[in-house]
Amino acid sequence: MVDPIFDYQFRLILIGDSTVGKSSLLKYFTDGKFAELSDPTVGVDFFARIIEVQDGTRIKLQLWDTAGQERFRSITKSYYRNSVGALLVYDVCNRSSFEHIPLWMMEAKRHIEPHRPVFALVGCKVDLVGTDNKNGARREVTCEEARMFAEENGLHHVETSAKTGLNVEEAFVLVAQEVYNRIQTGEYKVEDGWDGIKTGFNRPNGMDFNLLEAETVQSTCC
Amino acid sequence: MATSDSEDFESADEGHGSPDKKERKKRLSSSNYSDNALETEQKASNTPKKSSNVKNVEEIPKETDGWDDFDIDDNEPAPTPAPAKSNVQNQNKTIEDKPSNVKESKKSQDTGWDDFEDWGEEDTSSNVQKPEPKPVQSKPQPAQSQKPEPNIQEVTDRLAAASTGGGGWGWGWSVDSLLSTATAGISTITSQVSQGISTVLETGIGAPDPEELARRSVKTNETKTDRPAPAQEADKRPETGSEQEASAGDAAFPFGSLLSGVTKFVETTGTKVIHGGLDTLETIGKKTMEVLQDGDPGLAKKRAMLGLGAGDKPVLSQVLREAKAKAEEEDKVREEKREAKEVHYENLFDDFEGLVHLEALEMLSRQVSMRIEERIRSVDVEKRQDIKETLQQVAELCEMPEEDDDDEESPSEDLSKPDAFHERLQTATQDLGLKLQFLPLVKQYTDVLAYLSSPDADSVKSVYKRGVSSLAQGTALSVEQYHKAAEMLLVKTRRSTADEADALTQMTVVLTKHISELATLFTEKLNALPSDNKEQVNTYITNIFLEAGNSSTYIQNAFQLALPILQIGAV
Repeated sequence: MVDPIFDYQFRLILIGDSTVGKSSLLKYFTDGKFAELSDPTVGVDFFARIIEVQDGTRIKLQLWDTAGQERFRSITKSYYRNSVGALLVYDVCNRSSFEHIPLWMMEAKRHIEPHRPVFALVGCKVDLVGTDNKNGARREVTCEEARMFAEENGLHHVETSAKTGLNVEEAFVLVAQEVYNRIQTGEYKVEDGWDGIKTGFNRPNGMDFNLLEAETVQSTCC
Repeated sequence: MATSDSEDFESADEGHGSPDKKERKKRLSSSNYSDNALETEQKASNTPKKSSNVKNVEEIPKETDGWDDFDIDDNEPAPTPAPAKSNVQNQNKTIEDKPSNVKESKKSQDTGWDDFEDWGEEDTSSNVQKPEPKPVQSKPQPAQSQKPEPNIQEVTDRLAAASTGGGGWGWGWSVDSLLSTATAGISTITSQVSQGISTVLETGIGAPDPEELARRSVKTNETKTDRPAPAQEADKRPETGSEQEASAGDAAFPFGSLLSGVTKFVETTGTKVIHGGLDTLETIGKKTMEVLQDGDPGLAKKRAMLGLGAGDKPVLSQVLREAKAKAEEEDKVREEKREAKEVHYENLFDDFEGLVHLEALEMLSRQVSMRIEERIRSVDVEKRQDIKETLQQVAELCEMPEEDDDDEESPSEDLSKPDAFHERLQTATQDLGLKLQFLPLVKQYTDVLAYLSSPDADSVKSVYKRGVSSLAQGTALSVEQYHKAAEMLLVKTRRSTADEADALTQMTVVLTKHISELATLFTEKLNALPSDNKEQVNTYITNIFLEAGNSSTYIQNAFQLALPILQIGAV
């Protein structure tokens, strides 16, 4: 069971072509396990995990694992709205999955409007690269071009492996930290009727002290 | 009156100090521009005329006298007052009668001084004009302008005769006869002058109202016209100095009074300035303190910020101890909260993803409802009715049946409870045409049964906690089934709404029964456990049933949310 105490809940959505490894990525992130075989996702599945951002604030990530299959497209798009972050997932050994990324991104932007989510570009299955295995997997997307695309579009980029666990944690922490930073700067707010960001049920006392400190700082500036 | 008088005096004194400048300023800034224009024009002609004008000019000396006096005062006291007196006294009478004239003229001269050399010219014309402006001016003036002329003329004549020929300022006092003109007269003059000046000054310093300005300008014009030109010329030309000398002589008399006036003036201005400065400083200081203390009475915060706090600096060890205590306290609170949350049904339901499945289902439901509405709107009125009827029929199919199928409750004896549960679920949903995953539900059931028959379930509290948790989990898994069913129905190619509705209704029945089964299992276990606190057990049992009711509500809500998804298959 998830540790119940957290300060914020961020809703992140994972999107990308079918079989690129979204569910495996999430499974590793939440369970620390890798399943060689898994059923295709139906509609959307949910995962959750609490992490800590740099200042120790506890964030519950509620992760929406969408089906990549074309037939669920009409359904999954109705799940975008309440997301504060989106992980654009592709398979480094699947060129077309990378080429579809811009489409996924546009789709997400369109449905998350008027909110502007944090995006991250996540390449999966890097464990398959470089191993002359019998599956014949070969890298079809270079790290450089992915990085270039990410820079052009102002995204974070990371290459992961749900099998070895490489960068899995980083991918999610990256997004969570960015969302948290934007809360700190006031760009994001907790809003009624929008579930992208929620405050936790049990806010530790520390937060109250922060508020008090903030107040005194304010009063001394005049 | 006393105060006002004194004030006047002061201001008048001020005038003495730097009359020219002030007047100049006024002129420049006020309506005198037009005058200036005239003046300039006149200038050309003035110079030649002066000689001829002398008469007119001569009148002026008195005024100039006033001026010169001021300047001169400092330098020298009236050299020969006595002799002058005799001469002057005659005049004095006249002058006294119309001191106001002199005063005014002085004033005007002050002002006119620099600006208008040409005035001499105008004098003639101005003399004629005088009557007009007078009314506008203060009352004394009119009298002055009319009467003074003769008197003054006499004086000026005398002056002219007596003139030693010294041009500029200094000359005045050398003329004895003139100087002696009239102490008395002068004293009156000075007082009047001072008054006049004070008014001028006051208006000049403050924002003068247009009327005032107009009046003043007129005055100055008059005075100038009367006799300013000479004075100026005198400055420039020693020849004309005679007039000035005369004026200087006049000036010499007032010396004493003027001096005292000056000193007093200086004093008062000094004190005024100082007081004003102090007042300003005080105001600034007060204001500053106000601002500083705003929202910080006693400056406590600011003192603290600056580290000026008196002796209340914390000791490090104490701070650390307090911090540790605080941390422990926090941990304790956190632990308590965690504990409390462990048996909080809603939180558990959320943790088992029940809430989010419900939410996602709601999203789908809302969107499909909108699609249905759109569809209704887009068709003919006749068809609309058909669609509505169809929707109604589907809704009716989804109504929960009365609890009359207890017969089915007898499962095959050779099946375990979880398997029987699984079978019932599959039977219920076989017409749905979907491949739902019931295994998590079955597994959870198995786990619950295993737990209840295990030695772990030995305390009332742990059984209760497990009971609430199991209900939440079972409900979450059930809700997930509706969510999944809805998603799959939406992407299903061939819909058979009636069957689907019936299947989902059956599933709802099975699931709600499953929930109450779970509740019964836990309450039985609670009852079976030995406990000292029967009341506590009863509370737990009540809570379990309460949460079971809660669970059924969630499940039926989920079912209702799925209704539009069933309906859209039919329209």
